Amino acid sequence: MAIFYLLCGVVFGFILSRSGAADYDFIQGMFLFTNFQLYGIIGTAVVIGVPGLWLARRYGHTMTGRPLAIERKAYTRGTVFGSMSFGIGWSMAGMCPGPIFVNVGEGKLYALAALAGALTGAAILGAVYPRIQRVMTLPAITVGTGEG
Amino acid sequence: MHWAVAGAGIAAVTLVLLLAANRRLGISSGFEDLCSLALPFPYFRRGNLITSRRWRLPFIGGLVLGGALSAVWTGGWHPTWELGMFDQVIGTTAGVKVAWMFVGGLFIGFGTRLAGGCTSGHGIFGLSNLEWPSLVATTTFMLAGLATTQIVYRLLFG
Repeated sequence: MAIFYLLCGVVFGFILSRSGAADYDFIQGMFLFTNFQLYGIIGTAVVIGVPGLWLARRYGHTMTGRPLAIERKAYTRGTVFGSMSFGIGWSMAGMCPGPIFVNVGEGKLYALAALAGALTGAAILGAVYPRIQRVMTLPAITVGTGEG
Repeated sequence: MHWAVAGAGIAAVTLVLLLAANRRLGISSGFEDLCSLALPFPYFRRGNLITSRRWRLPFIGGLVLGGALSAVWTGGWHPTWELGMFDQVIGTTAGVKVAWMFVGGLFIGFGTRLAGGCTSGHGIFGLSNLEWPSLVATTTFMLAGLATTQIVYRLLFG
């Protein structure tokens, strides 16, 4: 199965790279309203994703017959405060998490600094989770904030 | 690549991961997967992370490989410091870029994991699955990114 996931990643990464989703100028163009590309990409993915997932949920199981298990995310104060922080970072680096890995692969050297920062940021969250759990209304530490 | 082709491809991978392997697309958890390989905090020892890293680590390895293949495909793989608009408007010094990118990364790593998702987990999968917290998250990070870029490119370095 590891090969299957690797191949999914290769396809996903190749698309992000070739479409501009992993390109600093395209991200700034999106936020400056001078480039439609990223709105088109995310919009199309969701427009296809909504009926796709609706059908998948109706179908109810995977291709190997296992029941579909989609873990829904909890709404917490962290949803808002975390997303504010992420938005600032997305603009600064011109990369969201997927493109950080893609840009590293493309040979963009500064992406290594973004990756180091992201790992440090995630490590800080892991370290302070018990202390901010209550104020951010986060799920139990054994559950975490959700796969995403 | 046309945006419609890219969007359809992203949706296809999302659906394949779900239907073939029961996996919920989400990339920012990959930062936790990598942290969990080295750090002993209880948060990185939880069962669902140890389970999910078995699929997500190969997936993010694929992202790196996909980026490399794309570079090879279009003129060859060459390490570079080139950074488009940043070079023209903010600066070309490598040290400035490293510091800027590291700080940006900090906001990304801390923020996505606090929010429980990023563009993929909230923006693509969460919205497609009609989860309202994902709509709140996506709206918030789009607005925060918009405000930051407007401040940086129209105010600070305008």
